[in-house]
Amino acid sequence: MDYDFGERACELRARLRELISTEIPHDYLGAFTDDPEDLEVAQRFCRRLAAEGLLTWAWPEEYGGSGGSVWEQTVVREEMWAHHEPRGAQYMGLNWVGPAIMAFGREGQKERFLPPIAAGQVIWCQGFSEPDAGSDLASLTTRAEPHEGGFRITGQKIWTSYAQMAQWCVLAARVGTATTKKHEGITIFLIPVDREGITVRPIKSMLGPHHLNECFFDGVFAGPDEVLGGVGNGWNVIRRALAHERVGIARYARCDRLMSQWAGTRDGMAALPVGLRSAWARALVQVRVARLLAYRAVAEQEAGRSADVSASAARLAVTQCDQQVAELLFQAVEDRSLEGPDNDAPLEGAIEDHWRYAQAATVAAGTIEIQRMIVSRSLLAGNKGAP
Amino acid sequence: MNLELPDLATDFGAAAARAFADLGGVDCARRAEAEPGVREVEVAKALDGLGALDVDPRSDLDSAAAAGELCRQAGRNVLPYPIASVVMRSPEDGLPFAVVGDDRPRVDHGDLFGEWRISTLDGRSKTAGPMAPRLASKLGPFVTDLTAGRDQDPSTGADVSLHMALTGWQILGTAERALELAVEHVSDRVQFGQRLSEFQAVQFQLADAAVAVDGLRELSRFTLWRLFASPNEARADVLALRLHALDSARSVLRTSQQLHGASGLCDEYDISILCRHIQPEMRLPFGAERTASELFAAAAAIGFSGLFPHGGSAV
Repeated sequence: MDYDFGERACELRARLRELISTEIPHDYLGAFTDDPEDLEVAQRFCRRLAAEGLLTWAWPEEYGGSGGSVWEQTVVREEMWAHHEPRGAQYMGLNWVGPAIMAFGREGQKERFLPPIAAGQVIWCQGFSEPDAGSDLASLTTRAEPHEGGFRITGQKIWTSYAQMAQWCVLAARVGTATTKKHEGITIFLIPVDREGITVRPIKSMLGPHHLNECFFDGVFAGPDEVLGGVGNGWNVIRRALAHERVGIARYARCDRLMSQWAGTRDGMAALPVGLRSAWARALVQVRVARLLAYRAVAEQEAGRSADVSASAARLAVTQCDQQVAELLFQAVEDRSLEGPDNDAPLEGAIEDHWRYAQAATVAAGTIEIQRMIVSRSLLAGNKGAP
Repeated sequence: MNLELPDLATDFGAAAARAFADLGGVDCARRAEAEPGVREVEVAKALDGLGALDVDPRSDLDSAAAAGELCRQAGRNVLPYPIASVVMRSPEDGLPFAVVGDDRPRVDHGDLFGEWRISTLDGRSKTAGPMAPRLASKLGPFVTDLTAGRDQDPSTGADVSLHMALTGWQILGTAERALELAVEHVSDRVQFGQRLSEFQAVQFQLADAAVAVDGLRELSRFTLWRLFASPNEARADVLALRLHALDSARSVLRTSQQLHGASGLCDEYDISILCRHIQPEMRLPFGAERTASELFAAAAAIGFSGLFPHGGSAV
C-alpha cells in the first residue's frame, strides 16, 4: 500500500497549478458563460498547454503525447476540474475523441483529425443522446441511408453540449433497420457541424449557456471516409467513450478545493453554524472516500482489468458527494449565493455555479440508476469483492 | 501508487479466515453468548495457534496491515474476543489496551482480563480492572464496566490511533459479511414467483450497500497508510475512518436486516448476531455524532487536506 503519486506526477501537478495561476483569472468559472472572453480564455489556455507539451500529456508518444501514466492522467483530470475545467470544451477531444480515433480510425483520419486536437485548435461535440434514447442509448433512431456512395443522415440529437461552439461532431446514427439486436447497425460519423442540413438550437437550462442543445439533421450528407471504425461498429466506439466518461470527471477535486477555499477565507471554521458542523465533517470524509473509489477504478484500469464495476461504484460515490458538498456549501453561504456570479465575491459565485452544475452530476454520462444496475448485477453474479 | 494489501497481510488474513471458520464462524459468537468460557478456551487458543499476538502493528505498515486483516476477519465473524485490544497490548507489561470515553471506562470483553491499560482519546492513561459482571445484554453481551486504577504515562497518539483504526477494520469486516448475507438471502428467497434479487428495489439497495462497503475498505487501507506516512495528522484521519465506519456499517447492517425480513431478527440467522454483537464497537468509546464533532475539531486544528492540499486546509 502506497498512495504516493510519485515525483513525476507531483511535478506535473505543480506545473499545472502554476500555469493555471498565471493564465486563468481568479474568478474564472469555466468557458460556458454569456461572456465570449471566457471561451477565449479557455482557447488561449489550450494553446498554451499545447505549446508546453501538456495538452496531450496522456496521449501515446507516437501521436505526439508524453505517454503519461494513468496516475498522471488522474492528476490532469483533478487539476482541470478543480479549477473549473480551463480547457473548456476541448477536454472531450483530448480525453476520448482523439483516443477513439487512434483506436478505430484509418490513417487518413488520424492525420486529419489528431494534429488539430493536439494543437488545442478544435472543439468537438458528441451527438449520441436522442429524445427517445437517453439511458437506453442503443435505441437511437437517427438514420443514415446509403446515398451516392455515402450516406444521408436524418434525425434529432439532444443534450448535445457545446454544439454551438464546436467545429466537429461525433455522431451516432443507425445504418439499416433496427433488428432485435439494437446495438447492430449503429455507426459513428465524424462530420463538421457547419455542414448543410444541420441546425443547432440551444436549450435554456439552470446549467447556463452552451451546456445543452438540440441538433437537427435534415438529410445531412456524410462521405464513406467520415465513418469511424466501420459501418455497424459504432457500439464498440461508444462503449469506449462511455467507459472513459465514467471515470473522466474528477468532481471530488472541485469539492475539495471549494471546501478549502471556504475554510481559508473565513475566520477558521468558527463562522460555520454549529448545525452544519456534523455535515461538514461527514462531507470531508465523503470527498476522501469518493476520491479513493475513483482511484480504485484507475488502479483496475492500470492493472488491465475491467474497470466497469469499479467505475460505476466510483461514479455513484463521486456524483452524490458532489451534490452533498454543493448543498452544504450553499447552506454555508446562505442567501448570498442567490446573487449569482459576482466579481467582488468569487467564492460565493463559484459555490452558486457548483450547486447548479452539481444537479446534473447524477444524470450526465449515465444516470446513477444505470450505475446501480451495473453494481448490483455484478454483486449478484458473485463478484463480492474482498473475501 | 499501489492500493493493494502487502502479501504478508493477505496471507495472514487468509490464515485468520481459516482459523475462525474452524471455530464455527459466527456460530462461535452464538456459543460464547450462551457459554462465555468459549472465549478463553477456544478463541484464545485459536488466536495463539494463529500467532496473532506475534504481530505488532506499531512496527511498520506491513505489520499494521496484517493486524488490520486479522481484525477484519474477526469482524466478519464477530469473533467473541477483544481483538484490537490484544493486538495493541502494551509492549511493557502485556496488558490489553483500549480507548475509552471520558466519563466511564466501559470495554467490550472487559471481563476477560484482570487488568487493562485504558486511554482517553486525548491520551490520558490509567490501569483498570473489571468492577462488575458483564452486562450480558442483547446489544452488549460481553461489555464490562471497569474501575480506573493508577495513572500511567500518557498513551502515545500512535497507540490510540492504531486502536481506533483497527476497530475500523473490524467494523469493515462485519459490514462486508452483512452485505454477503443479504446477497445470499435475496438470491434464495422467492416471493411473488421470483427471487427477491430480481426486484429492482432490492438491487438498488444492494448497490448502495456495496458502494458503502467498497468505500469503507478503501478508506481503511488509506488511513492505515496515512498513520505511517503523516503521523502528525493521524487524529483527524482515524476519526474520519471511525465516522465512516459507523455511518456505513449502520446503513449496511440495516439494509441487510431489512432484506432478510422477519428472519433478520432471529438469532438463528447470522445477520441478527452480527447486528447485535458489533454494537459495542460502534458505541465505544463513543458513537457517530460525537465522532463527527471530534473530527470537526481535529480537522480545524490540524487540517484535513490529505494528499491534495489546495493552498489551505478544507476546514
